[in-house]
Amino acid sequence: MADRSVVGSGTFVRGRIHGTGDLEINGHVEGEVTVSGEVTVEHTGLVGAAITAQHIVVRGAVKGDLIADETVVLEPGARVVGNLRAPRITIAQGGLVRGHVQTGPASASRPRAAAASGAAVRPMPGAPPRVTSMDNTSSAASASAAMPRVDARRAQPAAGISAPSVASPIFSTGASSAASAGSVSSMSAMGGAPAAPRVTTEPSIALSQPQPSRAAASHVGPPPPVVPVLKKGTKALQKKR
Amino acid sequence: MASTVIGVGITIEGEVTSEEDVLVQGTLRGKLIAKDAVTIDHGGTVEADIASGPVAVAGNVTGNIASNDRVDLQNGARVVGNVKATRITIADGAQFKGNVDMDV
Repeated sequence: MADRSVVGSGTFVRGRIHGTGDLEINGHVEGEVTVSGEVTVEHTGLVGAAITAQHIVVRGAVKGDLIADETVVLEPGARVVGNLRAPRITIAQGGLVRGHVQTGPASASRPRAAAASGAAVRPMPGAPPRVTSMDNTSSAASASAAMPRVDARRAQPAAGISAPSVASPIFSTGASSAASAGSVSSMSAMGGAPAAPRVTTEPSIALSQPQPSRAAASHVGPPPPVVPVLKKGTKALQKKR
Repeated sequence: MASTVIGVGITIEGEVTSEEDVLVQGTLRGKLIAKDAVTIDHGGTVEADIASGPVAVAGNVTGNIASNDRVDLQNGARVVGNVKATRITIADGAQFKGNVDMDV
């Protein structure tokens, strides 16, 4: 019943799109998208905007938060740098995400609720989505939309100038229990603000980054970060380097 | 060929640059640059300058229209702004206020 709007593949919209109805994006949109219906970002779609809608389906590239009242679906081919927030989230095999993922009603947006609901998804490309509560700390600490570089550098001892100063608040809180993973993501959100200008946006949404950081993360300290509680000493040693 | 449709309930505030046809049924505020045809439906409102190929207006336009082809103002159209085109038709019932420049 609601009308369908289309941003064609040869179209570039820079500004705010808002209203009722469904929206299909095949082209390039920058700014803000707030629609009351369903937003579909097709394979050719490039969106540099936060999308707020009832349902969001992504098959293309999005740099911005996806906030839905009902569902967010990332299909194969989706590349998202940004946070996902919806009661129900689907990330299909092959979908790429880098950001904070939170299921549950939009009103319960406190990070603690996210940690408790065990909704954090490991942002690993190609791997089937595995939702475990133990993944909270590692993924919440590593997943921050504003700091893709920190993700990779945290694993490398010879970190850049900006990374350690920003990363350290994450590490120190990450070392504590999973219950404070909530504070991690909120701190990373705050810590991300000063670091954001220093992080250059990679054109291809850093597809290669998750892999090296994921592989390197294994030799950061103790073996694969299934264990949420890491020794405080490990991170402190890294900081000193 | 693909086309861009700005549906009835949608409002775009900003610039729209398109290589293809644009159909406006909703509201557009800002700027519209299209390489191809622009059609503004009866319920469409454009508060922007339009630069495009052929333009067919049946809705509201507040802003200048610069076309490299023809401009048709249909019945129900309401245009306030200058029109630059190679050909122009103003149908009975269309309302128009502005200059017409046909590059004579």
